[in-house]
Amino acid sequence: MTDKQLILVVDDDPDLVESISMKLESQNYRVDKAYDGVEAFAHIQNEKPDLVILDVMMPRKNGYQLCDELKKSGNYSDIVIVLLTAVADAVASTNYTHLDGKSTLADDYIPKPIDLDNLMQIVHDHLE
Amino acid sequence: MSAQPVKISQYVPKILVIDDEKRIRNACRIVLEENGYNVLLATNGRQGLEQINANHFDIILLDLMMPALSGFEVLTAIKKKHPDTVVIIITGYATLEYSVEAMKQGAFDFIPKPFTPDHLRVTVAKAIEHTRTLRDISDAHSRIRTMVNSLTDGVMCTNHQNHVVLANPTFLRMNGYITKSVVGCHIKDFLKFPKLREMIHQALQMDGRTYSELSTEIDLASYSADDHRVLNARCLPFKDREGKNIGVITVLNDITALKQMDRMKSDFVSTVSHEIQGPMTAVMMQLKVILDGLAGEVTAKQKKMLSRALDKISSLSGMASELLDLARIESGLISQERERLDLGQIVKEQVALHLPKAQEANHELIVRLEDDLPPILAHRRNIEEVLSNLIINAIKYTPGQGRIRIVAERSEAYLLMCVEDNGMGIQEDQRKQVFKRFYRVKNKQTRFIHGTGLGLAIVKSIVESHQGHITLQSEPGKGAVFSVFLPIFPIDEKKIELNR
Repeated sequence: MTDKQLILVVDDDPDLVESISMKLESQNYRVDKAYDGVEAFAHIQNEKPDLVILDVMMPRKNGYQLCDELKKSGNYSDIVIVLLTAVADAVASTNYTHLDGKSTLADDYIPKPIDLDNLMQIVHDHLE
Repeated sequence: MSAQPVKISQYVPKILVIDDEKRIRNACRIVLEENGYNVLLATNGRQGLEQINANHFDIILLDLMMPALSGFEVLTAIKKKHPDTVVIIITGYATLEYSVEAMKQGAFDFIPKPFTPDHLRVTVAKAIEHTRTLRDISDAHSRIRTMVNSLTDGVMCTNHQNHVVLANPTFLRMNGYITKSVVGCHIKDFLKFPKLREMIHQALQMDGRTYSELSTEIDLASYSADDHRVLNARCLPFKDREGKNIGVITVLNDITALKQMDRMKSDFVSTVSHEIQGPMTAVMMQLKVILDGLAGEVTAKQKKMLSRALDKISSLSGMASELLDLARIESGLISQERERLDLGQIVKEQVALHLPKAQEANHELIVRLEDDLPPILAHRRNIEEVLSNLIINAIKYTPGQGRIRIVAERSEAYLLMCVEDNGMGIQEDQRKQVFKRFYRVKNKQTRFIHGTGLGLAIVKSIVESHQGHITLQSEPGKGAVFSVFLPIFPIDEKKIELNR
């Protein structure tokens, strides 16, 4: 049995972060929490997680930017990134769509409202 | 009052008789005035020309043999100054030679002397008919020209060789070419949007029997960095009597303001979506975590209540996203990027996506695609949404172990896509209603089926925005068939990307 895998949960809504964290902990993962992109990056530098659950719309640095930075960096490109997208897709001119999520370098994406069981399944599949 | 044909003006034709014989002059006047014409007389060529220079005449009856100025000289002078005036020759020497010579010089007809009143009447009536037709054509031209020139949309008409027949000032301005006339020019010599040149060419090649209109968006920023206008361009071929395309009308429409509003609406939708969905998501997850027992023991009673709360919030959240979908689709429908799509492929993908749900209910899913389905010009996500909604409905409203058939085939100028089930069906009085927003069929059978009543409203607005239509056949208790008709992309052979 290896050490517990570390998952960083990043969202600007603390309630959401808490719920996801509790669920992850119940599934035997270690959890780190951050509430915006800048903070998340600092946490990653501090201890590299195996997977990041990353919200898209956040203050300071949004999910796309952080995702892009991590995936293009040498040290962190192997971290699995699961994007949380809130907005209905294909809105002609908005920035935060599923389609944009698809075009990013993220490993997976899950639309809000999030189905917790589905999220756990995705996390599990990637960390297997 | 009885209905009368609309006349633009009450016009009395004016006729000038130039003859040196008084008898002939008077005879002409009597006969022609009886027919309601305005008749003036001249006794010789010089006097005739003076009158012609002072007044407009529709018809001139001209004697060839006159002293001083001959009829031929008068004819030449008239044709030089008033080429549209109809001249009828009166000649005592009814020889073929003279008449042919006069006709060559532009005379409309000739009357040999002596003539009967009837002969005069018939000849003049024929000439009047001729001038009236010319006048009507010229009036119609003038009306159309004034109309087209005053439009705030750019309009250009090109012929079968892609030469310009007409281009209004707005069109020239939008094309950034204001000073010179472009009539007669080939479009490649002045039209600065390559995409539009290609589209005009395509429109000309289209089969006249299908729905024929091509449209695209032109972003002027790609031609000049400080120009932020967006134009919508439409090309419509027009046909001759045999139905063959003989030219193309191109209409340019400045949609900059619409695009901006569309963008604002989209941004608003996305913000609202985030603001509403965010908290709801958080609440749902909190409930879920508690229900899963992660926050301590939950009693059976608490579990039951929390489950119901979770269900309510889930359906509220579903409704919010569908409402936003509707707002989004309506804002996106103003103008959107369309591409050439293979419907068969989309059907296969959607069926694969919904297969698990169908299997869960033990439904049989049958797909029948005609070979070599022609492509359609549509927005991919929209078409996926149409199919997805119809398939989900068929699954939901068919009790277990049903049969759902999805058929795609050619139907004249349309591609027909049917989603057929053998489920509960829809009562006749509800068949129109189901396409209305928030309408849901409510009875014992549907009580436990979740839904927002927006699915079919979304389907209908998508189909209609693609110049298609949707029909519904159903027999209660036996099932329902939704048939979606979408226009076939007119060009089969060429693979041309119409959009950016």
